[in-house]
Amino acid sequence: MSKSIIYSLIGAVISIALAACGSEADDATSQPDLKDLSWEEIEAQAQGTTLTHMMWTGDPLINDYMNNYVKPAVQKRYGIDLNIVSGQGATIVQSMMAELQAGKQESEVDMMWINGETFYQLRQIEALHGPWTDRLPNAQYIDFDNPFIGVDFQQPVDGYECPWGNVQMAIIYDTLRTPNPPQNRSELLAYAKANPGTFTIDTRFTGLTFLKALLIDIAGGQEVLAGDFDEAKYKRYAPQLWDYLRKLKPYLWKEGQSFPEGVAPMHQMFANGELHFSMSNNDCEVDNKVMQGLFPESTRAYVWELGTIQNSHYLGIAKHSANKAAAMVVANFMISPEAQYRKMDPAVWGDGTVLDLDQLPAEWAEKFRNLPNRKYAPDRQAIQNRALMELAPEYMIRLAEDFRKEIIEG
Amino acid sequence: MQANGAAQFGRFLFVLLSAVPIVAGVGYALLYSLGLTGVMAEGMTGAHWREVLRDAAFWRTIGFSLYVALVSILIALAIALALVLRSPRTFTKGSLSYMIYLPLSIPAIVMAFFIFQLLGKGGWLSRLAHQLGMISALGQFPDWVNDNYGIGIIVAHVVMAAPFFTIFFANLYENERLGDYLHLATTLGAGRRQRIFRVGVPILLRRGLATVFLYFMFVMGSYEIPLLLGSQSVQMVSIRTIQRLQRYNLGDIPEAYAISVAYTVLVVVLLSALLWFNRRQMRPS
Amino acid sequence: MSRTVKAMLVGLILFPFAFLLMLSVGRQWPYPALFPQQWSLANWAMVWGGSEGLSNSVAISVLLSTSVAALSTGTSFWVSRHIAYHPKREAWLSMAYLPYVFAPVILAACLQFFFILAGLYGTFGGVLVAQLFITFPYGVIFFSSFWNERLRNMEQLVKTLGGNSRQAYAKVLIPVARGALATCFFQLFLISWFEYGLTNLIGVGKVPTLTIRVFQYVNEANLFLAALASCLLVFPPLLLLWVNRRVVFKG
Repeated sequence: MSKSIIYSLIGAVISIALAACGSEADDATSQPDLKDLSWEEIEAQAQGTTLTHMMWTGDPLINDYMNNYVKPAVQKRYGIDLNIVSGQGATIVQSMMAELQAGKQESEVDMMWINGETFYQLRQIEALHGPWTDRLPNAQYIDFDNPFIGVDFQQPVDGYECPWGNVQMAIIYDTLRTPNPPQNRSELLAYAKANPGTFTIDTRFTGLTFLKALLIDIAGGQEVLAGDFDEAKYKRYAPQLWDYLRKLKPYLWKEGQSFPEGVAPMHQMFANGELHFSMSNNDCEVDNKVMQGLFPESTRAYVWELGTIQNSHYLGIAKHSANKAAAMVVANFMISPEAQYRKMDPAVWGDGTVLDLDQLPAEWAEKFRNLPNRKYAPDRQAIQNRALMELAPEYMIRLAEDFRKEIIEG
Repeated sequence: MQANGAAQFGRFLFVLLSAVPIVAGVGYALLYSLGLTGVMAEGMTGAHWREVLRDAAFWRTIGFSLYVALVSILIALAIALALVLRSPRTFTKGSLSYMIYLPLSIPAIVMAFFIFQLLGKGGWLSRLAHQLGMISALGQFPDWVNDNYGIGIIVAHVVMAAPFFTIFFANLYENERLGDYLHLATTLGAGRRQRIFRVGVPILLRRGLATVFLYFMFVMGSYEIPLLLGSQSVQMVSIRTIQRLQRYNLGDIPEAYAISVAYTVLVVVLLSALLWFNRRQMRPS
Repeated sequence: MSRTVKAMLVGLILFPFAFLLMLSVGRQWPYPALFPQQWSLANWAMVWGGSEGLSNSVAISVLLSTSVAALSTGTSFWVSRHIAYHPKREAWLSMAYLPYVFAPVILAACLQFFFILAGLYGTFGGVLVAQLFITFPYGVIFFSSFWNERLRNMEQLVKTLGGNSRQAYAKVLIPVARGALATCFFQLFLISWFEYGLTNLIGVGKVPTLTIRVFQYVNEANLFLAALASCLLVFPPLLLLWVNRRVVFKG
C-alpha cells in the first residue's frame, strides 16, 4: 500500500482519538433564568422564535392533528414557528447522548414526545430540563395526583415532563370469529391450543406491555411489584412467566420461533385473518382502524379480566434547548382544554385526556363528557377498574432481554 | 508534472471521502466498545467484547448473514447472466432497456413490504392459491416469510439484485465487446455451452467482480428487508446490532459497537481474501 | 428473445407497481379476496392533507439528490481514472468498499458525534456530506470496471496529436462514457433519494426529504397507507426516469 494511504489513515485515527477523548460536556448553559420571569414575559420571549419538536410521525391522523391544528394555532397566537421533526424513543436518546458527548451547547431539538423508558434513560444521562411544568397555567387542570398520570413507569415526573395524553392497552379481536375472547391466562392457553398459530405478541413496546400485565397477574396483583425494581421479586415471578409462555409457545404464530416486529405487521395479519388477535397501547386505536377500512366492522377491542397497563405519554424539554420559553408556551397550549378536547375525538386521534374533568371549568367538563363516543373501543370508564400501573423501567429492560433468551432463543 | 499533481489530488480526495469517515466511525465504535468514550463510559474494559464473542447467537448471526448474502447473490447472478448471455442486445436497445431500470426505483423498505404482502400466509399468492383451489385455508400456505431459512429475505434481495446485475452485465457486455470474443470463439469452433461457460461467464464475472462483491456486502449488511421478513430466531447482523443499540438497555450500547467492529474485521478479512484471489487469477493474463 | 418471454419480463417488472397502486386505493381486503372490496382516494387525501408541505419536501429531495448525484458522479469519474491506472489499483480500490461494511443506520450512529463536532449536525450541508460518503465510493467502484486499455490508448492518441487532458475528457472520455455516466448518476440519485438512516440522524429531521416524511408510513399498520407511502417514494424517481429516457437511452 502506498505511503500516502497509510499516513492519511494514521492521521484520521489520531484525530478521532483526540476528538473522542478530549471533549467533555460542560454544563455552561448561559440562558436567562426562566424562573424569574412571569408567564407573560415567557410568552413575550417565545414570540417570533422557532421551536423544534421531535416526535414519532408514523400515524397520519396524529400528523394531521399536529400539522393542521397545533402548528397553525401556536403560529397565530404566539408567533411560534413549530418545526416538527421525526424521531422517537431510541433516536432521541441516541441523539441527546451524542450531543452531550460532543459538548454541544445548543441542542438541535427543543421539545420531544416521550414516555416510560425514554424518560428514564434521558434522566439517567441528565439530558432533560426541569422542573418546569408547574409554571404552565394550564397545568392546574392536570390531575398530577392520578398515579397513571403523575407517575411514569413508577418514576414521579417531578416536573421534568408534562403529561400530554393517557391511554390503556387493549386487545383487538373479531366478534364474528371469536365471540368469547379469553379473559385470563388459562383461557388464552386453551384458545391457542384450539386455534394454533393465531396468537402472538410483538417484540417491541406493545408486546412487552402485555408481558408486564402477565407478570403482574402471576405476582398476584400490582401492589406486589409496585415501587422500585426488586431483583428478588423478579427472580421469583419471571420464571413462572417463562414457564407459562413455554406452554403457550408451540401454539403461537410460527410456533413461537418468530414474533412480529412491532404492531404494524400484527395489525395487517389480523386484518387478513392470519392472526385472531392484535393489540394496541391505545384503547381507541381500533376505532380509526375500522374507519380507515383496515379492520372489519365486527372488530372490537377489550381489556381482559386480569387487566392491562394504562400509561401516559409526555412532553419533555432538552436540557440544552436554546428555546425553553417557546417549548413551555407550546406545551401549555397542547394541554389546554381546547387542544386536549380535539385530540380526544376518535375521528381526530382518540387520545385520552390528562385533564381532570372535576377541575375544569364547567362548560369544558360538559364538552368532554359529551364527546362523540367511540364505536368499537371499550368505554374508558368501564375499563378503568382493570387498569394496571406501569412497572419500574428495569422490569421492561429485563423482560425484553429474558424474553429473547428464554423464549425466542430458548 | 501537472498530471502527476492531479493524480495525487484525486487519490487524496478518494481517501478523504471513502476511508477517513469509515476509519473515524470504526475508531469511535472501538473506543466505545472498550468503555473509553460515551456519556456512560466507565473506563477501559474488555467485558463487552467477551460478552459478544462468547455469545453463540452472535456467531449464528454472522453465519446467517453470510448464508443469505451468498444464496441471494448466486441466484441473482444466475438469472442476470442467463438473461444477458441469452440475448444481450435486449437490455441495451429497445423497450426493455428502459423497463429494466424500473425495478431499481424500489427501495429496500418498499420491497420488504411488497414481498410481505405477496408471500405471507395471508398474502396475494396465498389468496391466488386459495382461489385456484390449491389450498382451503390460509394456514396451509407454506412459511415463506419470517421463516428460519430466510426465504422471504432471499426472495426480496434476488428481486432487487437481478435487474441491477442484468443492467450491469448488459453494459459490460457492450463495453467489453464481448460479442466479438464470442464470435471469435464460434469461429474457433466453440459450441454454445463452451461459449457461455468458458468465455462469456468468466469474462463478465471477472470484470464485474468488484461490483458483485459490493452488492454482496450490501446484502450482508442489509437492515430493512430482514427487519420485516426475517425470523427472530436467526437474525442478520444489522438487526442484532440495532437491537443492542436501541432497545431499552443503555448498558448494551458498547456491545452494539463491539459487534460492529467485529463485523468490520470479518468483512475486511473477506475483502482481502477476495483481492488476493483476484490478483492470483489475474496474474497469468 | 422471444415475444412471450419479453412480455413475461415486462409483466414481472410492472407487477409490483400495479400491486402497490392497487392497494393504495383499497379498503377492506379480507382473505381470500384477490382485490380489495372497496376503492377510495381517502388515503391519498389524508396523507397529502396531514403532512403539509409535502411538495416542499419534494423540492428539498430533488435538490439534495441531484446535487449529491452530480457531485459524486463527477468526482468519482475523475478520481476512479487515477485509481484505475495506478500500479496498486486493487489495494486502492479495496478502500472504496469500506463504507459499505455497515448498514447506513449503524454508520450514522458511529459518525453522528463527528458531525456535531464539525458543526454540520442538523444542516443541509451535513446531510449532503454524509450522503457523499456512501455515494462517492460507489461511483468509484462503478467506474473501476469502465477504464481499460482501449480507453487509455485513445487518450494517448489525443495526447500524441497535441491535445491536453481537458480535451481528452471533452472529446473522448466523456462522450464514450455518456451511458455509464448517466447510469451512475441515476443509481446515485436513487441511493440519495432513498437514504434514510444517515439523513435522519445527521439531519436531526431538519432536512425533511420526501423519504424522511413518508418513510415511517411504510411501517404503518394500515397496509393501504403503507402501499400509498410506497407509491409516493417510488413514483418521483420513475418520473425522472421517464423524463430522462431520451437522454439516457438511445431509444
